[in-house]
Amino acid sequence: MTRTSRSFRTASLAAVTALGLLATVTACGGGDSSGAASDGKPVTLTYWTWTLGAKSTVEAFNRTHKDIQVKFAEIPSGTEGYSKLANAVKAGNAPDVATIEYQMVPEFASQGNLIDLTEYAGETVKSKFPESVQSLVTFGGKTWTVPYDVAPQLYYYRTDLFKKYGIEVPKTWDEFKTAAEKVKKQDKNVRLASMPKSDPALLAALSWQAGGKWFATEGDAWKPGVNDAATKKVAAYWDGLVNDDLVQSYAGWSPEETKARTSGKTLSFLGASWSAGGMKTSMPDLAGKWAAAPMPNWGTAASGNYGGTSYGVLKGSDHAEAATEFITWLTTNKAGVEARLADLESPSSALPANPEMREVAAAKFDTAYLNGQDVYALASQQVDTIVPGWTWGPNQMDVYTAVQDTAAKSGFVAGVDAGQQKAESGIEDRGLKLAK
Amino acid sequence: MALPSAASPLRRSQRRTAALFIVPFFVLFAVVMVAPIGYALWMGLFQERSSGLGFGGAERVFSGLDNYTDALADDGFRSSFAHIALYCALYIPVMIGGSLALALLVDSALARAKRFFQLALFLPHAIPGLIASIIWIYLYTPGLSPVLDWIGAFGGTWDFYSNDHVLASMVNLCAWQWTGYNMVIFYAALQAVPREVIEAAVVDGAGALRTALRIKVPMIASAVVMTVLFTCVGAIQIFTEPKLLNQRGAPSIDTEWSPTLFIWKAGFVQHDYGLAAAASLLLAALGIALSYFVTRLGNRWKAATS
Repeated sequence: MTRTSRSFRTASLAAVTALGLLATVTACGGGDSSGAASDGKPVTLTYWTWTLGAKSTVEAFNRTHKDIQVKFAEIPSGTEGYSKLANAVKAGNAPDVATIEYQMVPEFASQGNLIDLTEYAGETVKSKFPESVQSLVTFGGKTWTVPYDVAPQLYYYRTDLFKKYGIEVPKTWDEFKTAAEKVKKQDKNVRLASMPKSDPALLAALSWQAGGKWFATEGDAWKPGVNDAATKKVAAYWDGLVNDDLVQSYAGWSPEETKARTSGKTLSFLGASWSAGGMKTSMPDLAGKWAAAPMPNWGTAASGNYGGTSYGVLKGSDHAEAATEFITWLTTNKAGVEARLADLESPSSALPANPEMREVAAAKFDTAYLNGQDVYALASQQVDTIVPGWTWGPNQMDVYTAVQDTAAKSGFVAGVDAGQQKAESGIEDRGLKLAK
Repeated sequence: MALPSAASPLRRSQRRTAALFIVPFFVLFAVVMVAPIGYALWMGLFQERSSGLGFGGAERVFSGLDNYTDALADDGFRSSFAHIALYCALYIPVMIGGSLALALLVDSALARAKRFFQLALFLPHAIPGLIASIIWIYLYTPGLSPVLDWIGAFGGTWDFYSNDHVLASMVNLCAWQWTGYNMVIFYAALQAVPREVIEAAVVDGAGALRTALRIKVPMIASAVVMTVLFTCVGAIQIFTEPKLLNQRGAPSIDTEWSPTLFIWKAGFVQHDYGLAAAASLLLAALGIALSYFVTRLGNRWKAATS
């Protein structure tokens, strides 16, 4: 459960901080990064993240590195986490290293929160990562962050309950709809799945899978397509399922959503490679009853990226080089990947973007919860079906909230229209160029 | 001759003592009030501009009052004021009326166990607002709420989040937190009403209800005006409750439902600090205007009733 929408659970934190709003908007700050390396003392890096297995990773790094020591702090994911990071940059006390999801890289880079890593990590990114992932962290000819994982969508379902209701694992969205009808007919309190209106990142991934492209660049101009034809098709499909009461629409990442899953009222969910890691802690009693499958598709095998993380160095850091060394270790070193999975409570099931690291992670991941299913092999196969050409926007968060606000009131189709409008106005408001 | 020489050292030391007490206040006032407001005024005059795709960095340009006109032209910002106006129209009468009624009940000669009721009614206020919101939202959420299960068991249905009900749900939540608190203030004020006045009213033949409404309420008018003032200023800054209701998926509570939510979003989601500063100052201006009018109306009412 590592992704954007944990924010929607932990936002209470933000609520507290934002109460002192009139004052904090005007907050000023000082502080500086610690220590210089020239006198033989180790460089101390600060590292903010919300990813699973971060503590064990940092401990392993500090054990094996004498000249660089990392101090780690956990921050909320999603909007709250990125607000915290952006404000820290503004206040001059940002950490050296932070987790930046692909969806936030253009926004963070274009707002001047990231240090250009081309000099330190450009080669690594070019040589060690698939091109489809490179394009998510390279903008304006510069490398902004180093990728860690790819997040192909996966479909998780209850094996026991699928058998009970006589449902086959749906391979296409048509079959998905038929299955949803079949479930509802048998038990009016049970549904095949739930489609949250409060998780625009999921809608983005589903649009990506269908061939939508929410953003593109044309020369030096942005060309948003948040309501392009493929996205509209997806939005209308889900509006239909919601209106016909064939799926539930619990708030994403909410206790009621989890409760519906654990009590057998929701039979499956739309996840990604990383979902498997959190299931053990959120639904411990259901071990052995879940399995993963490729996401249903529109006729040909295809997948979108649902989440996915990279690591960046934040503006104001005096140790970009040391920070890049740490990041490189995190993302492309066997020890770094193994350490992330060493946390037995809630190991990460994120699928490394670097193909060599995939095997390392797969060998280390405990598959007992999924009844021995090799979820890494399945996810790796899905990576090849990720539709190329997707770009995230320079005001992604803002577009997300516009989609979410309107979708909650008037459905997904209206939501993506509002998102497109916000994308265009946001780009122009900041003085960026909008392709006509 | 002897008089000034005796008085001036005294006056000087008095002055020194007075300064000693006053200076900390003014230092803190300058640091935590005047300086931030000045900084917000300054920030409100600038906008960040980039060009092309935006990866070449941004520059801060002077934009005059653009942030203010942008805020005022924003549909979301404008409708947020309509939202809180509606909220205040429902919340203030319910909450102030409720606490006044409770205070008069506890104060009435009939009430027993006054201390118990005072404490019991005050208790909700001892719970932090955020926690209270989470508890109520738990009670509102289908699938989790025992309340909804009971309603369902009797064959009824209710949706606390639906467009028609969500404002009432929010008012209920806030009133629960604040009624007891204001009740205690009213009750304390009622204790200061001279008993002989009430006795005189009773001797003149006024019943309990008449005594309460005609004698007691006018005599605690100052306390009522003060609580209405604080409630107004607090209500226009409502944040936690709509924020959490938004996250729980109440469809009509969007991410800029109240002015503070709009400001929060402008500052922390859109990173548009100029717009956030301008909108904050506009909200502060409304708070000041509202305080002025409530105080004036209150004074008129006090003059009319006393």
